[in-house]
Amino acid sequence: MTTPFLECRKLSVGYKKAVLRDLNFSAGRGRFIAVLGPNGVGKTTLLRCLSQRLKPLGGEIFLQGKNLQSYRPLELARILSVVMTDKAAPPLLSVYEFVALGRHPHTGFLGKLTDIDEARVGDALRSVRAEALADRFIDQLSDGERQKVVLARALAQDPELTLLDEPTAHLDLKHRMEVMGILRSLCSQRNLTVIAAIHDVDVAAKVADLVLSLKGGTVASFGRPEETLTSGSVASLYDFERASFSNLLGGVEIRGDGSQGKAFVLSRQDSGALAYRFLAKKGYQLSGGILDPADLDAHVGRALGARLFLWDGAAPPEALYDEALADLSEASLVVDGVPESGAAPADGLSHRLLDAARERGLKVIRLGSPGDVSPLASALSANA
Amino acid sequence: MEAELALHNKLLAQGRRNRRITVFYVLGALALLVAVVNLAVGSISYPLRDVLHVLFNPSEVSDLHFIVWKIRLPRTLACLMGGAYLAASGLLLQVYFRNPIVGPFILGISSGATLMVALVMLTALGLQLTYVTPFLTTIAGMVGAYGVMFIVVSIAAKVRSGATLLVVGLMMGYICGAVHSILTALAEKEKIKGFVLWSMGSFSGFKWVEIGILFVVGGLLVGSIYLLSKPLNAFLLGEDYAATMGVSIRKFRLFILLAASSLAGLVTAMAGPVAFIGLAVPHMARLSFGTSDNRVLVPGACLMGAIVTSLCDLIARMWLSPVELPISAITAFFGGPIVIGLLLKRGFKL
Repeated sequence: MTTPFLECRKLSVGYKKAVLRDLNFSAGRGRFIAVLGPNGVGKTTLLRCLSQRLKPLGGEIFLQGKNLQSYRPLELARILSVVMTDKAAPPLLSVYEFVALGRHPHTGFLGKLTDIDEARVGDALRSVRAEALADRFIDQLSDGERQKVVLARALAQDPELTLLDEPTAHLDLKHRMEVMGILRSLCSQRNLTVIAAIHDVDVAAKVADLVLSLKGGTVASFGRPEETLTSGSVASLYDFERASFSNLLGGVEIRGDGSQGKAFVLSRQDSGALAYRFLAKKGYQLSGGILDPADLDAHVGRALGARLFLWDGAAPPEALYDEALADLSEASLVVDGVPESGAAPADGLSHRLLDAARERGLKVIRLGSPGDVSPLASALSANA
Repeated sequence: MEAELALHNKLLAQGRRNRRITVFYVLGALALLVAVVNLAVGSISYPLRDVLHVLFNPSEVSDLHFIVWKIRLPRTLACLMGGAYLAASGLLLQVYFRNPIVGPFILGISSGATLMVALVMLTALGLQLTYVTPFLTTIAGMVGAYGVMFIVVSIAAKVRSGATLLVVGLMMGYICGAVHSILTALAEKEKIKGFVLWSMGSFSGFKWVEIGILFVVGGLLVGSIYLLSKPLNAFLLGEDYAATMGVSIRKFRLFILLAASSLAGLVTAMAGPVAFIGLAVPHMARLSFGTSDNRVLVPGACLMGAIVTSLCDLIARMWLSPVELPISAITAFFGGPIVIGLLLKRGFKL
């Protein structure tokens, strides 16, 4: 068996008292490892330990088969670079000079840049698409631009492993996606190993090869996000109460608090997904049907904690209809999102439920073209 | 497009380099000029030609010879070196603490020196010791400055964060300040004026031995700071980043604290606490060279410090001549507006 690129054995980290203990995990070269966990769980402490800034309280870290503690600082700096949350922006330092500081472990006396160093700095700036910023002063950049430059400095160090502490905190969506995309492609193209503490579980699910989830002082799970990031594991990782993560949808949904009563959504084939989210946002507790279990509406509804009436078309529908009707009768709002060309058997049931709702004098709102929530929005604001 | 950009960058870097070289030449010329003026101008002014003649013929005997070789030359050299060292010390500490309002006395160096000098000048202790050595205040200043330095450095070994150390230094300053206030309160009136004047700094009365010590010890320190300007640059990003770039933090931190304090202590022991130079000159250098690169700034700040201090000494001597003003008053009075002006002109944040 080959030695893994990075391996932690029974690692305990912390200042005097262990914050995290008994960490065991290993990863191969070129992997993107996301470290997830609630605030204060010890993500930053773990990263400090992995960067040799903090001695482990117990256990060992092996980098390329060699104990991390036995690396000399300069030797380690040649293969490991770090991006911290610290907003280091010295005045009167150009972006180029800032990135060139990353060459520190490679340059000689007085840090004169050779042609190789200059080429590396150029590469680093190019790989974060920040060539155009080269002459600007570092303290005059926007948050997003600076973060790219900070990343470029870490890359100019020519590392094999980069540790990043919340690399996309405070960035707008564009830069968040850009930074993550850059890291992703560095893993696959340059075989760089990345360990990043990340706040957004959905981002982690989308970019990471491996996810290390930390909870209650130790590893809650370690593995591919496709397997370890289930709705249940994420909910317990962050102690979600009114939110839930859907691995399939790749996002976190926030449930309605039920303060506006109950809404019943009738839809099929994606026509109700946005209505579900809209109503949850407005504070409705949700129910819905009549859906095929594989319908997107069913996934969204489930993530939002809706009570769903699902029909695979095989079981006798009458019992389901009765149950749904009972639930619908309690709703203060019924949404009609059934497709117009509704010829599917499930639509038949939905139409019957709609008729029953009208009979009972319930408020029924028809969605616009599939998925269009504007009639719902105007009805609700007229109400308010 | 890419080639264009590379060319653009190259031209820009070239432009910056040229600017730095030009600034060095200008400052060098200014330093020389102000030094010569300092030699020629005084309560009795001599023609420049005579001064230069005496300077290059040290064996002649005349009044002018005495004035130049015993009074003006030592004083000029002391100003040049003292200013340079204070500026280097301030620069070092500003980089280490990543704090623009830090100066060489932030760790209590000047307060330590002031305390010891107060002891010898304000109490009877001094009278007995005057027979022992003519360098009494210098030695007292040195004992005070280095005593405080060693206390602060040994505390530094125990505390992790720079900010904590900063507060420790400030506290040391207050403690020493408290003691010398008490000494002042108890002292006789006549003695107080002399002490207060000392505590505002002066480059007068330097002896050649002191100049020699300044030159050798200070020169070695500044030289080694320059040689370590590469790790000092890594410190621009803070201690944590410097560590992950391969700098051995513990050793380097000790070096920074020792070098900065030794330089400031050396000057303070001989000239008294000269205010402002160490705090402001690094900013003047940074703004005129347009960079934070310490490979430029270490020599740059030294040169700038030498010029500013010499100029201030000239003003202190000449403005209300024959009364000589304390140099700290001049440095702050003229230096403050200059720093504010530079900052406003550049619209730049520290």
